[in-house]
Amino acid sequence: MGVRAGATVLPGHQITVDEQRRLSVDDLLPSKIMHPGDAEDAGRGLRLCDLTPAAVVVWGGGTQMRLGAPPRRYDIAFSTERMTRLLEYEPADLTCRVEAGMRLSDLQAALGAQGQRLPLDPPHPERATVGGMVAANTNGLGRARYGTVRDWVIGIAVAYPSGKVARAGGKVVKNVAGYDLMKLHIGALGTLGVVAEVNLKVQAIPESEATLLGHFETATPAVAAGLLLARSYLAPAAATVLDRRALWECGLTADWRWTLALKLEGYAREVDAARDQAVGAIRDAGGRVEGADLPATFWDAVRDWSAPDGDVVLLRAIAPIAAIPTLSGAIPSEASVIIQPAAGVVDLRVAPSSAAPTLQRVRSLAGDEGQVVVASAPAAVKSSLDVWGPPPPGFPIMRALKQALDPNGILNPGRFVGGI
Amino acid sequence: MLARLRDVVGERYAFADPYEMRLYQYDASPETALPEIVVIPGTSEEVARVVKICTDASVPVTARSGASSLAGGTVPVEGGVVITFARMDRILEIDTENLRAVVQPGVVNLALSQALKPLGYYYAPDPSSQGACTIGGNVATNAGGPHTLIYGVTVNHVTGLEVALPSGELVQVGGRKSAEAIGYDLTGLLVGSEGTMALVTRIWVKIQPLPPVQKTLMAVYPDVATASNAVSAIVRTGILPAAIEMMDKLSIQAIEAASHAGYPLDAGAVLLLEVDGIPEVAQELGERMAKVCRDNGASEVRIARDEQERQALWKGRKGAFSAMGRLSSDFYVMDGVVPRTKLPETLAKIDAISERTGFKICNVFHAGDGNLHPLVLFDAFQPGQYEAVLAIGDEILKLCAQAGGSVTGEHGIGLEKRENIRYVFSDDDLEVMDRVRRVFDPHILMNPGKIFPGNGLQPSAVRYPPGYSRRQAVAGGEDLWV
Repeated sequence: MGVRAGATVLPGHQITVDEQRRLSVDDLLPSKIMHPGDAEDAGRGLRLCDLTPAAVVVWGGGTQMRLGAPPRRYDIAFSTERMTRLLEYEPADLTCRVEAGMRLSDLQAALGAQGQRLPLDPPHPERATVGGMVAANTNGLGRARYGTVRDWVIGIAVAYPSGKVARAGGKVVKNVAGYDLMKLHIGALGTLGVVAEVNLKVQAIPESEATLLGHFETATPAVAAGLLLARSYLAPAAATVLDRRALWECGLTADWRWTLALKLEGYAREVDAARDQAVGAIRDAGGRVEGADLPATFWDAVRDWSAPDGDVVLLRAIAPIAAIPTLSGAIPSEASVIIQPAAGVVDLRVAPSSAAPTLQRVRSLAGDEGQVVVASAPAAVKSSLDVWGPPPPGFPIMRALKQALDPNGILNPGRFVGGI
Repeated sequence: MLARLRDVVGERYAFADPYEMRLYQYDASPETALPEIVVIPGTSEEVARVVKICTDASVPVTARSGASSLAGGTVPVEGGVVITFARMDRILEIDTENLRAVVQPGVVNLALSQALKPLGYYYAPDPSSQGACTIGGNVATNAGGPHTLIYGVTVNHVTGLEVALPSGELVQVGGRKSAEAIGYDLTGLLVGSEGTMALVTRIWVKIQPLPPVQKTLMAVYPDVATASNAVSAIVRTGILPAAIEMMDKLSIQAIEAASHAGYPLDAGAVLLLEVDGIPEVAQELGERMAKVCRDNGASEVRIARDEQERQALWKGRKGAFSAMGRLSSDFYVMDGVVPRTKLPETLAKIDAISERTGFKICNVFHAGDGNLHPLVLFDAFQPGQYEAVLAIGDEILKLCAQAGGSVTGEHGIGLEKRENIRYVFSDDDLEVMDRVRRVFDPHILMNPGKIFPGNGLQPSAVRYPPGYSRRQAVAGGEDLWV
């Protein structure tokens, strides 16, 4: 499925050395750049790459470029930086249509002006793009309450290597016409096509919001309290359990060993009731409710913590929520950790030197229905890690889907699961 | 063929008697077609083996469960084998710790919520046919229902599937009890694929805590345009109700005649709204919504005082299609969607079609998400009426597509709308979908003749009305459709 060598002239624009460095992926440098102006333009560009054939790495805001295995080959940086328009937005319909390169913070600002928002909060929204969020399936802290990217994308336009731009879904919130190809592209890391436009549902910004912190001596009761709340009707908008190092990294330098941080959202009386319920849950689990002055940037820091730069490896375990207490109790002490119990997600930051043994350990603990991926790592470490773990059930179908939509294997070759 | 199928499922559960085949030729749509063999497997492994026997012999396979499809999704247009999931109707596991249930495809939608209720949980998608339709069928069509406005449709609640592939393999895809899985989201792709890629043999669904209180309001309007504008006004306040349903004058009259739900007979339109929450919040939201309704032209707003009154209001809505039997011997139902701000103009255009053609059209629908269910009333025994009604349906779906909407919101494309799909998708769009389908089913044996337009296939060989079975079901009044 690899890109055949042999072409001498690559399509695309010349690139400066600085740009090459900026657009490097796992220490590989692109030879040229393409930055299409719209979906059709993206289709034409991809067609040229396919004819060559030239290996394409798709670029949005670059916040998730440390995810995935190193590309097998990298010729063209295919950037959505010029595709930044909000194409349609009708507040009374609670829907919008945007180009893939639009920054999330720009989208949220436009929605916010109408009292609305997209309740997805991936890391670094000032850089992350809508298309990147879709391709990498990046979900923030609200995932247990509000769902993930797949619950908010209602339509998509995708440019394929054939040069064609094909749509799926639509602009209405309820629609079962044709196959739900949105799902196929969400989290596909651009290996099946380049997401060019995205149609989204949005929601009203909740009336009221509050934060509550509880601190605990060990992880398990903090996680248990978070789970108890998650299974209740008044589930928090975000429930995260942080160890002391993670807490400090998020700008809260309190001397607590484990912290359950809860974000409560909803109608005013709902938030009041949720706060009472949460206070009870924390105390019942043996924790202490804290009224610390929270830095204004605390939740942003928690959100961004899972997309680190530099010499840090982020491992992400996803497991059934009932398995999270066991998993949390066995976290190696060298890792700093943020757990989202209700989402079944455990994020671990480890130094490159201990990445391999920690990965192996957490994989063995995650169980049958759990999985552990290297969500972010410097290039030097990746070569020694199995980034995705074993291919999932149904993998032959996945490989065949790749073959059907990208027969020459030009899209992000090698970065996805099982070498796709 | 029959002998080999009987080797798998036993003598009793594979049959080809022409008389019995007639029971499997229809669903809730007007189309019919006879299968050649019907198989009723008892396990996932049997399903997989049956599929393999069929695909090896190039015999089409069509899945069937509650058969309440309104789009001909389960009608075996190319004959072949119908696999029905009547025996695979068990709830395999309820796991409140992980907020999951694991079910077989033949489990009736309502049965799952009933089983969960004593534990304080429920399964959110609630098609109006939930007393008859199955979760397997819901997965095939990505079914919706009145409460999808806030909670989403089937795909938002399914986290994993076990499927029998056309190759005869049985695989489990998706996160199942985990929220996510690595790799492509095959679960999300398969939900709503109408049995054209694989057959679902086991389903992992999310369950959620029951809301403490549900407040249901009825708001009375002089006409559908005023009611539609009120819907937009409600959405703009930032309150998102769990459901917003609308019924027009004709529907109200039919419903009242059938079930005495308490809708005023002189109303031009009725909105049924529901909010849920803890008692004090539900109360407050109910009052706030009532005010918005009044400020936007409601002549009367009534909040259901107790569960009995609430159930009566909902019974009227959920039994609306059955009630149509009071007005007309036959009806043809559409499932168009428009952006909710386009409701007033779309309804006006539908009204104009009714006036121009002389056919009465009722509207009872999910107003909150713009999902229209125009019901064209007709008499199938009058020559030419059925054809005229199909043309009206086509015109309405075109209207919806032109308004930026869709030709189906929850019923699926099936057999009936496979030409209408062109109103929303180009050849390029369909070509990509076809490529994806062929990855699973290269020889187009899985529910052939569905979703995709043309293909040189003939529509069903037997045209409605084949007899009187459907007519009786409709007029009988107890069955809940849609």
